[in-house]
Amino acid sequence: MLLLHFALSVFRLTPCEASQKDEVICGPASAWFESVDMSVDVAKRGFHRELLYEVHHDPTPQAIKALVIQRLPSGVYMDQYQLASLREDTGLQVLLDSAVSLEDPAHMSSGFSALVYLSPADGLPGLLQAVVPVHGRYHRPSSSGGWERVYIEGPRLLLRPESCETLPSGLPHRVVEAPCTVQNQSVCSWLEIQGLQVPDSVTLELPVGDFSLTGPVCAGTILATLLCFALLFRTIWTHGIF
Amino acid sequence: MAHTADHSLIKLFNLRVLNSLALVIRLFLVGYGVYQDKTMVVKYTDIDYHVFTDASRFVTQGESPYNRSTYRYTPLLAWMLLPNIYATPHFGKLLFVTCDVLSGVLLYHILCLRGLSSDAACRFCALWLLNPLPIGVSTRGNAEALLSLLVLATLLCLELKRFFMAAFFYGLSVHMKIYPVTYALPIALYISTHGKLEAQKRGVFRMLQRLFNKELVLFAAVAGAVFFWLTLAFYCLYGWDSLHETYLYHLTRRDIRHNFSPYFYMIYLTAESQWSLVLGLVSFLPQLVLVLLTSLAFHADLPFCCFLNTAIFVSFNKVCTSQYFLWYLCFLPLILPRLRLSKKQGVGLLLLWFAGQGLWLMPAYYLEFEGHNTFVYIWLAGLLFLFNNSFIMVQIISHYIPETVQQRKKTE
Repeated sequence: MLLLHFALSVFRLTPCEASQKDEVICGPASAWFESVDMSVDVAKRGFHRELLYEVHHDPTPQAIKALVIQRLPSGVYMDQYQLASLREDTGLQVLLDSAVSLEDPAHMSSGFSALVYLSPADGLPGLLQAVVPVHGRYHRPSSSGGWERVYIEGPRLLLRPESCETLPSGLPHRVVEAPCTVQNQSVCSWLEIQGLQVPDSVTLELPVGDFSLTGPVCAGTILATLLCFALLFRTIWTHGIF
Repeated sequence: MAHTADHSLIKLFNLRVLNSLALVIRLFLVGYGVYQDKTMVVKYTDIDYHVFTDASRFVTQGESPYNRSTYRYTPLLAWMLLPNIYATPHFGKLLFVTCDVLSGVLLYHILCLRGLSSDAACRFCALWLLNPLPIGVSTRGNAEALLSLLVLATLLCLELKRFFMAAFFYGLSVHMKIYPVTYALPIALYISTHGKLEAQKRGVFRMLQRLFNKELVLFAAVAGAVFFWLTLAFYCLYGWDSLHETYLYHLTRRDIRHNFSPYFYMIYLTAESQWSLVLGLVSFLPQLVLVLLTSLAFHADLPFCCFLNTAIFVSFNKVCTSQYFLWYLCFLPLILPRLRLSKKQGVGLLLLWFAGQGLWLMPAYYLEFEGHNTFVYIWLAGLLFLFNNSFIMVQIISHYIPETVQQRKKTE
């Protein structure tokens, strides 16, 4: 919880004046940033999905850190406890900006942001990736049942050369501040990569109840339970010892 | 050859051998669980076990176990599992497994007290000790075995007429989970009729008089005190959360997500309707009336009555998940010896029970993992499961020979 509150207090994405800094400037050249490409995919079906993030870039002499900022609507949630367990098992690094309810339906929840720190892919230089589990919430029944569409907007991608304290100036990208690592103990300057060919949103379809069936469902349920009740009542009455 | 086979079969059903075998199987599975959790994507350990451990971790940090969302149990459980943090994360599983095997020992003693030979008692105990359901549940880290142990300890102490200890275990079990509260009336009637056997005369006045005998007052006072003081202590420590998460949440729970309950789809569709409260009350009535009637009808045979009360409570509940089935399955070895069903009928009923679950699990899988809209099928399967359960209960009641007060008097 402390971690979360800390995340809330430091997670401010504010543009900075990078050119005013005096420290040693390093990092890749402007042309390198054009090689950066990102993809977002949704894997699995039903209420339990996975968001797959992949960032490709030309090889660089120094390691590049990538942070994906994903805004999520109230229709889905991430389970902070599952994320903690995955962090131990697979090294997945995700930070949530607020406490997220695991049980509330969509109309009683609010959206949140996830900060996903991508990891280098084994044996593939120039590829950073993360697979993050996301779960669908139950939605209000709709007038004709079917499926409710949940739109997950395209993420923002932030990059940072690992060993640079100060980002190169004059780049056509915005400088923003965000937690340096998933430990969330310090704030670093990141370059927000713009103009990526990422779709505006990905869509999940989640089954919803059919509100038009309320009458038959209530009648059927009450009738069935009354029938079972009567059956049991008669049997207990006949065989009971009073 | 045949003689040797018979001999080894008898040896297998020796209580000590049976318990050792049951324990070895469980310990092996706990070990296997560690391996599967480390190596496979699908984990062996139940999510609830992580909830308990997280709650214990909060306790070690001097915080409330309810800081762990979805922790809806007594803080006592988080306290009991403190060695999960200080010693080994597998302590809880070892504790549940031990409780599971001890439940088998208690079943054996209750069966012997109910007049079964040692060999026969072992055979019926094996239905619990070697049953894959309780084995799976306890080794995956579910705490249901604690409740089985407490409830069976209550029954054994009542059979032995140790009312103080029975009351202690009963108070503790109701503190741990609410459902044993459905045993309060049958236990009260059982104590009042068995404490003074001469008081078998009819009439409201006599009945009331019976309810105020010494043993019953002792039982009520001790059980009430254990429940009250534990609840009060945790209320003082953790505030309103402890009352809300342990009891009120379960009493008012209306889970709109799919579960085995016949009411689930109705609750989902009417969650925001003005009729929600009325429908909630209507669905509570069959449960209440049947539990009351069973308590009056079968209190003389307490294990049978507890079995029926739990099975009715679970089948007609507004929320029902598969671990609830364990609540009544622990009584099954106690009632089977008095059940006059042929093997064919017994196997048929068992298949019916499993088929009901299978028919529900299929659309539930397609909804949850494939995204198909199977709400109507899940609802129909839930109703069918209720029919199956009711039919099985009807068959059990009609083929059961309950222990009566007169029989008991004779044996005494």
